[in-house]
Amino acid sequence: MTIDHKRINGPEETIPYELFQKLNTKSLTTQFNECSKDGIRKDKRKTDEHRKIFITTGVVSQAKGSSYIELGNTKVIVSVFDPREIPNRTDYSLKGEIDCEFKFAPFSCPKRKLQQQDSEEKHYSAIMKQALESAVCRHEFPNFQVDIYALVLHNGGSALSAAIIAAGLALSHAGVPMYDLITSVTLGLQNGEKLVDLTLEEETLCLSPIADSKSHGIVVLSLLSTHEQVSQFFQTGNLTLEDVVECTHLLTKACKDIVPLIQKTLAKHVVKNVKESI
Amino acid sequence: MSRNKELLSKIGLRLDGRRANELRRIRCKLGVFTEPDGSAYIEQGLTKVLAAVYGPHQVRGQRSKAQHDGALVNCQFSMAVFSTGERKRRPRGDRKSTELSMHLQQALLAAIKTELYPWSQIDVYVEVLHADGGIYPACVNAATLALIDAGIPLKEYVCACTASLANNDVPMLDISHQEEAIGGPTLTVAALPMSGKIVLMEMSQRFHLDHLPKVLEKALQGCKDVKNILDEAVRLHVQDVGSSTGWVIKN
Amino acid sequence: MALCEAEKTFVLHGVEENFRIDGREREDYRPMELETSIVSHAFGSARLRLANTDVLVAVKIEVDIPFPEKPNEGKIEFFVDCSANATPDFEGRGGEDLAIELSNSLSTAYQSSRAFDLSKLCILKGRKCWKIYVDILLLECGGNLFDAVSLAVKAALWNAQLPLVKSVHVDGNNIEMDVSEELYDCQKLDIKNAPVMVTVCKIGDYCIVDPNQAEEKCSVGSIVVAVSGDRLSTVLQTGAGSLHPTTLVESMKLGHTVGQRLNQALWEALQQIPEDQDVGFLK
Repeated sequence: MTIDHKRINGPEETIPYELFQKLNTKSLTTQFNECSKDGIRKDKRKTDEHRKIFITTGVVSQAKGSSYIELGNTKVIVSVFDPREIPNRTDYSLKGEIDCEFKFAPFSCPKRKLQQQDSEEKHYSAIMKQALESAVCRHEFPNFQVDIYALVLHNGGSALSAAIIAAGLALSHAGVPMYDLITSVTLGLQNGEKLVDLTLEEETLCLSPIADSKSHGIVVLSLLSTHEQVSQFFQTGNLTLEDVVECTHLLTKACKDIVPLIQKTLAKHVVKNVKESI
Repeated sequence: MSRNKELLSKIGLRLDGRRANELRRIRCKLGVFTEPDGSAYIEQGLTKVLAAVYGPHQVRGQRSKAQHDGALVNCQFSMAVFSTGERKRRPRGDRKSTELSMHLQQALLAAIKTELYPWSQIDVYVEVLHADGGIYPACVNAATLALIDAGIPLKEYVCACTASLANNDVPMLDISHQEEAIGGPTLTVAALPMSGKIVLMEMSQRFHLDHLPKVLEKALQGCKDVKNILDEAVRLHVQDVGSSTGWVIKN
Repeated sequence: MALCEAEKTFVLHGVEENFRIDGREREDYRPMELETSIVSHAFGSARLRLANTDVLVAVKIEVDIPFPEKPNEGKIEFFVDCSANATPDFEGRGGEDLAIELSNSLSTAYQSSRAFDLSKLCILKGRKCWKIYVDILLLECGGNLFDAVSLAVKAALWNAQLPLVKSVHVDGNNIEMDVSEELYDCQKLDIKNAPVMVTVCKIGDYCIVDPNQAEEKCSVGSIVVAVSGDRLSTVLQTGAGSLHPTTLVESMKLGHTVGQRLNQALWEALQQIPEDQDVGFLK
């Protein structure tokens, strides 16, 4: 991996001490059973219950539009900047471009992240771009690009979904023309149990199969709710077709549930603006 | 000195059983791909190279680079990460690839009639699939074939070959990777074999100046041999293409 | 490749009539050519030509130290290189975005241990493991890269020979391995469930598989379905555009059935590959 030598980097080979804690000696099955017992999860949520969301706009004064979201422990800050001409491009592009940068803050995860984007972050940036591209009226600003920066301050699971919701809000806060509001939800599956809005612990548990589990995996879906269009879908793991289909329905519903909150936040912002201008 | 001895045994055979003035087997094919305007594949012993030519077309990127008196020849050399024994980390962009790209451009510029295409650009891309010594010569030869396949006017074939000196006395042709690794000087020559002009000459390690003429002569002879092989391949290819359209009668 | 409106309409009408521009039906693939053992100093390799798409994959295996959080698993890494031979746009770093997209999709598809079991690559827990480098070289792009790449990767992994470790000696911090020197003393990798990807493109009201470049341009949305055995290991959307949830489910179903068929066909083709084929680009 390339390392930025201008910054102070941590020691090259470090191992998080958590790996040696007692928790890790338990088998994945018991760990998972602790996480979800009779449909009630560790944080006393039901399996299909979303965590409480706090979302607000206008937190970064330099940016054209910005938003901040808290999804349980997950905290993400997103800023959107004015459209600018696409750099290093000679031919004319009919549609505007969206440039996303998804980044975990160095202190956001149990393991320290480096200053440069790693492959996971690059992957998430690409997914974010994919999700937002169909939400934005890109023909309104041909040959220009909009830069979106998402910084995860604390990764408590479902960081990608949180970033997409916040980016959608930040875009509308910036006044970028959009077709629809975008919402996104993450869902995990393990041994037939479906958990909506994963915490970090659940996320890791859903990634690898526990003993004789039928299926496991994570599904992320972003929805443009008024148009009923899935703008981004991403699944990993090992699932049957029936599972995925069921997840799609669950997620579409969960995505729609968040919309009123986003609308309310936007309305609040507009009201505040109007009051200030009077 | 003792290491040099191994290059050529007493009975005049090299490590891979060749004589001193023998080339490795060359196999080549024109028109491997459909997307580029011209493409070629060449095998020299185990060294395998693919070349593709796009153009002549409008200058891409910085328009200011366009020349009023001739075409811009743009070369890119890259090596597949699996082409060497030990896995490479990057296919291109390192110093060696940049240098080879420049050398390739230099050799091709000597042969292409660039003055016929002012304000335009010709792209030549070479991709090494398997590196086993003599990468540069294989690239030049492949690029020549690809240019011919693309129908770009050349003054003549541009061919390249390597030569070395064994036992401080006998010049050897077409150095393999094994021989490169053992040591001994390597002289790389790219030439226009019909007119006998040298367009690029590069040398690593040293030998006495007295040896230079004979090693150089050997390398030039190698270029001529390569040219004959390429020429035959081109003729066969044209015959193949021609026979399908009916303007050449194939025996 | 640029298409005008009339050309797009032509493609669209072809899809509606179930008679595509090259005469195929909606669920048909273009002809494929597969060769294995084509790169002599790799542990395994394959070249797949799907009409005009040409992919060369080589597998190299090295000894490495396992990740501390996964002490009894080996590693697998995918590296995609878009050769400028394919299109001048890939010159320099131009192909990097596509390369990252392809390699990310491969690594998520191979992530689950049900799809590809990394624990078999462990030599000594926490100390030594095999690392598989899967290097993919794109030589020509004629549409449908995901499918071609995943098939070629699976074939190359099938072809790969893992060196046999006879014994491991631990002496304090030193670990010595005794690798069998017999040329034919090798293990095959278990790739029975290795994923095969299917790109499903929505054109007009219909979904098609194996789009060529022109059809990719006409698509309003496309998804890639990675099928491992009878399960899905990854589903992701590619390109711009969005889909209705019903369409999404429909195309996943289509991808699922086609993927299983494709997997079966690949498996049969691999069994039939002759020992001494005249391999290479000379054919």
